[in-house]
Amino acid sequence: MTNYLDLDIRAINELLKSKKIKPIDLVNEAFFKIEKNNLNTYITLNKEQALKKAKEIEDKEVDNLLFGIPIALKDNIITKDLKTTAASKMLENFIPTYDATVVKMINEKNMIIVGKTNMDEFAMGSTGETSYYKSVLNPWNKNKVPGGSSSGSAATVSASEVVLSLGSDTGGSVRQPSSFCGVVGMKPTYGRVSRYGLISFASSLDQIGTISKNVYDNALILSAISGKDDNDMTSFDLPTDFISNIDKDVSNMSVAVPNFYLSEQVDVEVKNIILKTIDVVKNMGIKVDYVDVKHLDYSVCLYQTIALAEASSNLARFDGIRYGYISEKFENLDELYKNTRTEGFGVEVKRRLMIGSYVLSGKNAHIYYDKALKVRSELTKSLKNVLSKYDLIIGPTSTNVAYDLNSDEKDYLTSFTDDLLTIPANMAGLPAMSMPVGFNDEKLPVGLHIISNSYKEDVIYNFAYKLEKKLNINNNLAGDSNV
Amino acid sequence: MYKATIGIEVHAFLTSDLKVFSNSKNSYSDTPNIFVNERDLGMPGTLPKLNKDVIDMALAAALALNCNINKVMHFDRKNYFYPDLPKGYQITQNKTPIGFDGYVEIEVSGETKKIRIERIHIEEDTAKSKHVGDSTYLNFNRAGCPLVEIVTKPDIKSEKEAMQYVKELRNILLYLGISDVKMEEGSLRCDANVSLSKDEVLGNKVEVKNIGSITNVGNAISYEIKRQQEILESNGTVIEETRRFDDVNKKTISMRVKEKNNDYRYFPEPDIPFVHITDEEIDKIKEKMPMLPKEMKTLFSKKGINPKNIEALLLNKELAFVMLNLGDCVNFVKASNILTGDVSGYLNEKSISLEKTNFDISRFEKIVELVDNNTISSKHVKDIIPVFLEKVDDINKIMDDLSIKQISDEDSVLKIIKEVLNKNEGAIKDYKDGKDKAFKYLMGQVMKETKGQVNPGLASKLLSQELKKQ
Repeated sequence: MTNYLDLDIRAINELLKSKKIKPIDLVNEAFFKIEKNNLNTYITLNKEQALKKAKEIEDKEVDNLLFGIPIALKDNIITKDLKTTAASKMLENFIPTYDATVVKMINEKNMIIVGKTNMDEFAMGSTGETSYYKSVLNPWNKNKVPGGSSSGSAATVSASEVVLSLGSDTGGSVRQPSSFCGVVGMKPTYGRVSRYGLISFASSLDQIGTISKNVYDNALILSAISGKDDNDMTSFDLPTDFISNIDKDVSNMSVAVPNFYLSEQVDVEVKNIILKTIDVVKNMGIKVDYVDVKHLDYSVCLYQTIALAEASSNLARFDGIRYGYISEKFENLDELYKNTRTEGFGVEVKRRLMIGSYVLSGKNAHIYYDKALKVRSELTKSLKNVLSKYDLIIGPTSTNVAYDLNSDEKDYLTSFTDDLLTIPANMAGLPAMSMPVGFNDEKLPVGLHIISNSYKEDVIYNFAYKLEKKLNINNNLAGDSNV
Repeated sequence: MYKATIGIEVHAFLTSDLKVFSNSKNSYSDTPNIFVNERDLGMPGTLPKLNKDVIDMALAAALALNCNINKVMHFDRKNYFYPDLPKGYQITQNKTPIGFDGYVEIEVSGETKKIRIERIHIEEDTAKSKHVGDSTYLNFNRAGCPLVEIVTKPDIKSEKEAMQYVKELRNILLYLGISDVKMEEGSLRCDANVSLSKDEVLGNKVEVKNIGSITNVGNAISYEIKRQQEILESNGTVIEETRRFDDVNKKTISMRVKEKNNDYRYFPEPDIPFVHITDEEIDKIKEKMPMLPKEMKTLFSKKGINPKNIEALLLNKELAFVMLNLGDCVNFVKASNILTGDVSGYLNEKSISLEKTNFDISRFEKIVELVDNNTISSKHVKDIIPVFLEKVDDINKIMDDLSIKQISDEDSVLKIIKEVLNKNEGAIKDYKDGKDKAFKYLMGQVMKETKGQVNPGLASKLLSQELKKQ
């Protein structure tokens, strides 16, 4: 078996350009590994179409760096004629009639879609275990969760089954699994990437994100899928070149570490790795200050209120009438709704829909939802305030490393605190990345969380690219990346 | 004595080219589900795409209704489950309607009254359900079509005022060119809230839905007032409920008892950024705004047109705009008579609009001129108009074809007048006694003798000359 998928994109591109390999070699390697690894990273493989596409582009000019690169899509991204389930029984047999905007952009680059990755149902969860399908396994340790909700997207890149993947991030769903799987995961500025064709969870927080093995590749794919889309009114029109400045000198940068990000809620080993990384950052000549950021501690409450309220509305369309699962047992309309949604949604989704409906119901809208919007805007202000003085905010991505599979007996409330450190960026619409910076004693990856001001993804990439070089972490499961 | 307190909610369908939040055509068709795309079906992953034309149309309506404008406005989601609601929520405006605190002026029995407008907001229509036996069929052509909802304060006190308000509102929307306002076809839907009380404390409110015409606005409200009065007089309680008007039996029928607090879980639509309306945009809409019925009414009054004709003209926008386009020298009163009489009669009989005829303004002006200088009689007009509307022929040719010849030769006319006078000594005497009727009678006799072919102006002139000689 070949190991081309361990290489970075620029190296693969050289091989393709010099005709040493063909796109189909990459596709064959991807499917071989996916089948061999058996990590449950995919819900649907796009094998036939991927092979066809690889053949089709074989004689075409290799006109861009992403040409022929295999990519995986989280299964909440709509693909025309390719089953899209959001890992729910509700959409078990759902074949969309249109392509998401990002899918069109990927196709324009002649990238090859390998399949639809496994995830937490409707992106609700942080372990991958709420999927209607089998749980995704963490490539670093198959007894551990890969994180979630973009579980398969992070794991498949980590296991070098593909070079790139897309996920979605509502409260940390790209960054947290990237941290758990030792890969680079970026949630861009809200509105940077069109959400048209992303199955909505919480519209004001959702953002499609990019996952890769290294920082440069991540900047490449984000550049390719960014930009204003007439189909998404929340998207914006700003330059999308994240490459030009990536190697710029960073020694005049300044970063802030919120004290909250190193509080006792963070695992000691994780904390130590982050502190070591901060020392490296200091050694790069970058100024590091520890700061207090107001309202960070409200993040989880805000998420529970705003994300779940929006979700309760966004998921109302799954009613069994026009598409998707429909219960066989009903005598009247009320039963049709009730039974379809009872049988079609999993436990976690239903729990969240009920909380979301509750916080919007009658007087509660004022008591919870309206108040949450106010706190959200205060939190945004305090983050922006820090970012007016510092280029970046850094800290751990997650309070812990990947935990054991099937440990979900733990309190449902505490499971929400998994996203404690990632939610603030969603609330404020800020871009944020997780990059691997070390391993704990069990050889489980630890991620550094890097947040910048809105529209400043280039600053994150610049910083991360330099730090990556400095740290020289090997996040390749197979060891050396020599072919 | 019971007092009625009435508020009216109107939903008007806007005639933009596309739907309000999708690229689908905003149109009516007998074929179901042809103006439908993935957005209209609420497919997963779809997002709304706001149609700017709809904002402009609603803004024009808000300004015409003398409303304040919410210059920073957003949309809201109204959440409920129903098969005709594809997303499980309707995008509407709850907290920031585009217009608020406006008014419409109506005239009832010669008095002008202001009906205050509480709000006007934009929202999307639902799909249309059709129940056949045990099955329900859904037609999504209508899903996502743009509506404005216009809500009055409870300022209306009688069925007459209600009817006048709806008429006035309908005319305003019609003249703005933003809605077809056909109640019969559902492009204007009207609900009335009616309550009765003896004192200042308002009685229980009943909402009457499904009112399909202006006459039925009156019928429904007067039925409801009577019904509630009977209940109150027999010491009963009016139940707060939603009723519908049954057109066949001319009464309202209970649909459902109102749940106290309908829980629609409103919240701001996160997929549509806030809309900012600038003063420049408002000015632009104001500049483009056509003459509205109220202004037109004033203008027509000034020109000496009678109230009956004015009302008839305003009811047909096309005819009203003909009046506005007439040259200065044209006799407006005579023109209005012909438009509201023969032209309107022809259109009604054929059930067509003026646009579908061969009407043109210069030939029309010619007809008015011929009437004005007494070259032709109103009887001739009656014959000419259908041909004029059906053919593009010159008026002279039409008259030739219809054998409309005027006896305009003075000697011949004089001869006939003399014959008539010889036979009507009684009438001459009456004329001398100052009875105006006698002149008209004698003119009638002259017309009769000539089978209406005499030039009326000439005949009238010669007749009065001859009478003076008697």
